[in-house]
Formats: sequence, structure tokens, C-alpha cells
Amino acid sequence: MNRSEIRNPNRSGTGSVQDNFRRKRFGFRFSAFFRLSVFGFRICCTLALTVLVVLPSSAASPDVLFRQGSEAYHAADYTSAANAFQKAGILRPASGTFQNLGNAEWERGNSGTAILAWEQALWLDPFNAAACNNLRFARKTAQLEAPELAWYEVVSTWLPVNWWAWISGLSFWLAVAMGTLPGIFRLRKAVWHQAIAAFGFAVFLLSVPAHLGVATRSRVGFVLQKDTPLRLTPTEDAQFLTRLAAGEPARLERVRQKFFLIRTSRSLGWIRRDQFGLTCPR
Amino acid sequence: MPTSQILLPVPDLREVRPSTFGLLLDFGFRISDFAAAVVLAALLSSTAAAQPASPTPVDPLMQLMLSQPPIDVESPVVPLVSLDPPVVRPGEFSTYRVIFNALEESVEWPAKLAFPPPLEARPGAHGQMLAPGGAKLEPHAAFNYHVRASQQGQFTIPEFTVTVYGKPVTVPAAQLEVVASPPASLPPAQRLILEVPTTNLFVGQAIKVRVLLPGTPSGFVPGLMSPAQITGEGLFVDQTAFHALPPVSDSNGVYNRYETSLTPLAVGNLSAFAQAFTAGFRNLGPGPITFRGPMSIPALGLLLDSDPVELRVRPLPREGELPGFTGAVGTLALDRPELDSNLVRVGEPVKLKVKVHGDSNCNLARVVPPPPPHVRDWQIFVSTADTLPPQIIQAQGFTTFIYTLIPLTEKTRATPAIPFSCFDPDHGSYIDVTIPAVPIQVKPGAAPADLKALSQAGAAEPESEKEPVLSGLATSPGLAARSLVPVQQEPWFPLVQLVPAGAIFGLWNWDRRRRFLELHPDLVLRRRARRALRRECHVLHRAARAGDASRFAAAAVNAMRLACSPHYPAEPRALVGNDVLGVLSETDRSTRAGELVRRFFALTDAARFGTTPPDTSGLLDLKPDLDRLLRQLDEQLL
Repeated sequence: MNRSEIRNPNRSGTGSVQDNFRRKRFGFRFSAFFRLSVFGFRICCTLALTVLVVLPSSAASPDVLFRQGSEAYHAADYTSAANAFQKAGILRPASGTFQNLGNAEWERGNSGTAILAWEQALWLDPFNAAACNNLRFARKTAQLEAPELAWYEVVSTWLPVNWWAWISGLSFWLAVAMGTLPGIFRLRKAVWHQAIAAFGFAVFLLSVPAHLGVATRSRVGFVLQKDTPLRLTPTEDAQFLTRLAAGEPARLERVRQKFFLIRTSRSLGWIRRDQFGLTCPR
Repeated sequence: MPTSQILLPVPDLREVRPSTFGLLLDFGFRISDFAAAVVLAALLSSTAAAQPASPTPVDPLMQLMLSQPPIDVESPVVPLVSLDPPVVRPGEFSTYRVIFNALEESVEWPAKLAFPPPLEARPGAHGQMLAPGGAKLEPHAAFNYHVRASQQGQFTIPEFTVTVYGKPVTVPAAQLEVVASPPASLPPAQRLILEVPTTNLFVGQAIKVRVLLPGTPSGFVPGLMSPAQITGEGLFVDQTAFHALPPVSDSNGVYNRYETSLTPLAVGNLSAFAQAFTAGFRNLGPGPITFRGPMSIPALGLLLDSDPVELRVRPLPREGELPGFTGAVGTLALDRPELDSNLVRVGEPVKLKVKVHGDSNCNLARVVPPPPPHVRDWQIFVSTADTLPPQIIQAQGFTTFIYTLIPLTEKTRATPAIPFSCFDPDHGSYIDVTIPAVPIQVKPGAAPADLKALSQAGAAEPESEKEPVLSGLATSPGLAARSLVPVQQEPWFPLVQLVPAGAIFGLWNWDRRRRFLELHPDLVLRRRARRALRRECHVLHRAARAGDASRFAAAAVNAMRLACSPHYPAEPRALVGNDVLGVLSETDRSTRAGELVRRFFALTDAARFGTTPPDTSGLLDLKPDLDRLLRQLDEQLL
């Protein structure tokens, strides 16, 4: 054994140096990552607490309006009820709020506005059986048709509109993560990694048509007033093609100043903006 | 086919025999045939004219109308204006009444009348009656307003023009005198009184309302020329239920009383008032009554009205609604159902009669029988409504539902129960008044083929879809969203997707770099050495500033060891001066740099292993040279 070997026991080979390096380097990286995670967690907790403290005061308004609307409805004051529900719906769009708004508008005799409100309730929550039932009731009573939906639009009605976005986003990134992270973290390849990746990718592919359906359904709207004229041109003095019943469905094709070009099941023409309500207002 | 074989049908002229009148039997006409036809037609018409004419059937309704005297629409239209009473206290209402001898439809009454301030006016009743006036019926159209003034004085309602039968008619001015104490001789305004037992109602809840007609102070009680009307939007008044009650009297005088049934059909706050024409004309004594024209006073009906009554009508609750509810509001009770026969054969119809009793307020004539249930063993036909007049139904206190039931199998032992319910407005809840099952014996019989088919179809048919009804309110806002716009159309949504993308990209980059460094561990050692060198340099500078030469020397040796360790590679503490010199170039080793290395290592060795402290004088002056050397070693680590 020479002198240098006595002084430097680690000189004997590079393998032990590399092992040491890996251990130390990983230790440093993971500890840094852990510290960052703790910091992030603290920030999130602080934000969540702030939101919890601030939110009740700001969210009280829609709840109060909802309660006021319900009380006015039970007192048969449908105009006040509709106003309260409408304000609550603007502040915080919710399925139950729109359902009640539809009921109040129906009792006021505004069948077009009622149908639009119930459609918006289903837009947010397709599991709202009461809104669905009310739409059937209204359409049967007013002899109206439901909008004709393509197959991918029907698929998009199975879940709330926002769910599709999150489902497709999460499933896509889950598939990507399960395809890449095991390699990055040097985990042993397992079947379940691939199964989850395949599942995520399949869900993503299946949600693509629903996305398309949501996009096209957002252009569906309803005539708000009875005997609304459908015009040949987007002008006030235009020739009337026909008159539309309140609650009749149509699809928005184009916008020009204060007129919408809409396509109903029978005709295509221009209608004033204030006479047509979109399920997903722009 | 050869042409010779085509045979056209040729009439056999030998078979054609001319008739006596020259008519041909093969429908070939001669000129003489037309002449004969004309003669025959003339004969027939003359014969018909000679017969006595049969009486033309006359429509009885038309006969009734023709028997009525005609309505006078030709006489000149004369307006009559009155204020009842013409003298009032401040704030007290007086009835401003305009009467025309014309049909109400012909009067183009202005939508809003201009009353001079400080007069306040609210519209009252308007109506029309036909009064007998000689050979014709005189139409009387009346328009009432209720005016008042808050201050004393004489106020004139100016004349104005309306169009009647297309011609302008000037309504004369009228004067209202508002004084603190009107003359005691002046009778008070004659008004109707509408008595409503309750003003808080449910939609469809029938109530009995009374109309009171007060008499004059002299004791005379006028009668009504027509049934009183209850006027108001969203109300149904059963005119057939209108009847007079015995007069009553109190300290204010005698009242004629009338009663009818009122049913609100709309929800919300409704307003109702009573109106009716009374017989005769009130002599109001001296006052600003203007009267012109040929109208006869006794024939003139006076339109009276009451103060409006506000009704608060609530919808029927959706919660707790029971099966078989057909809109009946009131307290109903059933007698025991009766069957025509307790023994029938399969396919034979049997009638089920149910008497439904109701309280005095319940309008039994309008109770709708419940729809029959769909059962497999029975075919049930919808009940026929009671055919008796509503007055009789109301008077007898019950109505009868009649169902026709046909047993489809002999296995059944009872008629099916028919769900029925009503809403009790007193308790605000639904009451179950289901028509109970009645035992019956069904014998086998020859069921018609259609009944068998019906039975089979009924067995195979799934339960029919329920009729949709408007649901109640949601009790909570339910699933909420930030906006109706879907998140995928929000501009922030693609940015959110960048977060996982960035995270995965970062991890991938980190892994790539890690793999690279694993393949080149010398890079890591050099970096680590440089970091340690920088730390040691700080120590060195601090020692120099403090004038601590021994610490300065130790820091310098440590720094040189750290800077040279990656070149071997070796543990820094294991390096000696020669190892450091080995890193330096040949030139540096023999010049100032080499000297520095040797001196610092010698000093530290002496301090570590020697018995006497080494001479450190002038050591701190070597700092610039030492810095240069360390910079040089640092550069070699790059």
C-alpha cells in the first residue's frame, strides 16, 4: 500500500465515489423538494384559510337572494321571486337557482324565459330531475320541440359541462404522467402503470366528442318572447319570414350588431338579441 | 294481331225501338226530346206550386230573439252626470257617475279621465243594462269613478267629449262641493258592500261572498235589477249560485243581501269588487246634477259598486300531493260506493256509484272525478259527471260519480280502489278520499274477443309514462359554477394545462441532467470543490481581516487542498504540499506560487506537529499572491 492510498482511501475506485455522489445528490434533491413542498403546502393553507374567512361574507348574498326568492315564490309574488333568483343566478350560477327561476318565470307566464332557465339548470347539472321534468311539462303544455342534438351533443349532456374539461385534462395528464414518471423516478415498470396510462388515455379520447358537443351546444338558445319575428335581414324594418313561439329552440349562426342569425328546425333568419337567450351567454 | 280481327261493337239498329214520345232507348236524343222535357218540367213545376206550402221549421232560439222587443239604438244619445253625494267632507269619496242611453260597446270611453287637482279619482264599475221603455228596450251604459278632495272648496269636473255610435257626445261638467260639515238632510252615498269571509285563499278554493245593498235612511230598500257581479281579474264567479238572502237590519238600517260563490283561478294578490244596477233613481235633493234628454227617471237603473277587496291567493303546495288529485279544493267525504250488482259474469259491465259530499263552500258541481286506474283484471270507463244542474247539486249537497267497470277475469274478487284526494284549505294539506274497493263475485263467462285482447295487451303493456307536472322549488342552490361559460372556453384553462406540462417537463429535464452527471462524476466533484473553495476563501479573508495569521495559514492550506482534490480525485484532507505542487505547472512550481505552497504547508505542519509555534510574521502580506494562486487553481477546476 503506497502513501497516497493511505491518505486517500477513496482513491481506490470511481465506483464508490459515484455511489456516494448519488446518495448525497438524491438526498439533497429530495430534501429540497420536500422543503419546497412544505412551503407550497403552507402557502395553500394560508390561501385556503383566507378564502374560508372571506368567502362566507361574499357568498352570503346569493344565498340570501335564493332564500328571498323562495319566500316570494311561496307567497305567490312571482315577479319578486324571479328577480331574486335572477340576481342570485348572476352572482353564483347554480342549478337549483335556475330551476327556481324557471318555475317563477313559468308562473309569470314567461314560458320562453322559463325554458331557458331550466335548460341552464340542466347545463350546469344534468342530474337535476326536477328541471328535466319541468322542461317536459313546459314543452308538452306549450307544444314545443326540444332542440335536436347530434350524438356527440347527447354525450355531452351526460355530465355537467365543466366536468368534461376536468375529466379530459386529468385523464390526459394522468396518462402522460403514468407513461413518464416511472422512468424519471426509476421505478420498476409495472403492469398497473401501463394500465392506468391506457385507462387515462382512453378516457381522454372518449371525452373528446363530449368536448365538441359542449362547444356546439353552447350555441343553442331559445326564443324568449312569444310571436317573435324572424327577419330576413338584420334590420328593424326587415321583412318577417315567420313568427316564433316563446321557448322555441334555435342555434346561433352569426352575430351582427344587435341581431343574431339563428337556425330553427324550419328556417334561418335574424332575430333581435334581446329576444333570444343563449344557454351559455356570451 | 291482324286488322281483320279487330271487331268494334256496332249497335244493332233492329233492336232499337222508338218510344211513344220519340225517345231513343240508346240515349240518342232528338230535338223533339228536348221539347218534351221542357213541357214535362213545366208541368211538374205547376203541380208543385199548386200544392199547399209546408211550414218552414224555425229555430226556437231565433223565435225567442224575435219575440223580444228591439233595442233602441236610434234615439239621440243623452249623457247624464251625477255626483253621489254632491257634497262631501274632505277626504270622503263621492261617486262620479256618467250614464248614456246607449250600448256600452258603442261608447268610446277615454282610457284616462282628467280630473282637476286636488281631486283624486279611482275608476269604479262600468256596465250596461237594458230597461223596458215602451215598445223598445232602452240601453243604459254607466261609468263610475270615485273622487275625493283633501281640502274644502268647490271643484268642477270639466265637460269632455266621447264618441257614441260614431258621433261626438259632450258630457257636461259636474261640481263637487267639499265642506267640513255637509247638510244632515243629504243622504249618504249609496254603495254596495262586499263581504268576503276570508281574504287568504288557495287557488281553486271556492268561498261564499255576500253583497249587501243598504237601504235609504227613510227605510226604503231598493232591489237589484240584475244579479250582482263580482268583478276582478283571475276570479271565477258562479252566477248560477247567485241568490237572495233574507234582509237584515242593524243600527244603520236595513240591508238586502245576496250571496254567490267566488273561486280564485290565479295566484297572487287579486282585487275584487261588486257591482249591480238598482231599480229607481235617487232623489239627491238640491245639487249639481245635470239631466237632459228624454230618459224616463223610473226606467233609469243606477250602477252601484263596492269598495275593492284585496284577496291573497296562494298556490296549492306541491309537497304532500296525493294520488288522484283532480283539483278539488274543500272538504270532501264519500258515501259507501254502490254496485249495480254483486254478481256479474266476465265481460258484463257493472256500474259503480259513489256519492261525494262536500262542505258548504265546496263547489260540488265542479268536482272532477278521478281518472280510473289501469288494472289488469278490469276495464274501467271514466266516470260520467253528474248531469244535474249545478244549483240542484249544490242544494242536495252531494254529487255522484258513476264508473262503468267490466271484469276481464273471473279471478277478481273486488273492484279496484280508485285513488282520489282533495286539498283541505283549512288545514293546508291534502286529504285521501280514495274510493274503496267493493267486494264482487265474478262468474266465468264468454269474454268478447276484444276484451281478451285488451286483457292481454294490458298485461303486456308496461306502466304508462307519468304525466309531467311542474315540480316544486329546489331547496338549495345545488351544483354551482363560476360562470355558465364552460371552463374549456375560459382563457385561463389552457394556462392551467401548462402547469402539469411544465411539471412533467421539469422532471424530465431534471432526470436528463441527473443521468448526464452520473456519467460524468468528475464534474460534480469539481463543482463541489469550487463551492468548498469559495467557502474556505471567505474564512481566509475573515482571518486576514482579523490579523489571525495561523488561521489564515490553515484556511489557505485547506483552500489549496480543496482546489486540488478533484484532479486526483482524492479526499482533500489527505493531500500534502507535493500533491498541490503536482497540480501546478512546471513553471509555477519553481516560481512564487511554488514557494507559497511550500511555505504555507510548512507553517501548518510546524503548527500541527512542531513543539514551538512557527514564525508567522509577514504571512498576511502574502495574501495577494495567495489570492492569485487560488484563482489559478479555481480556473483549473472549470
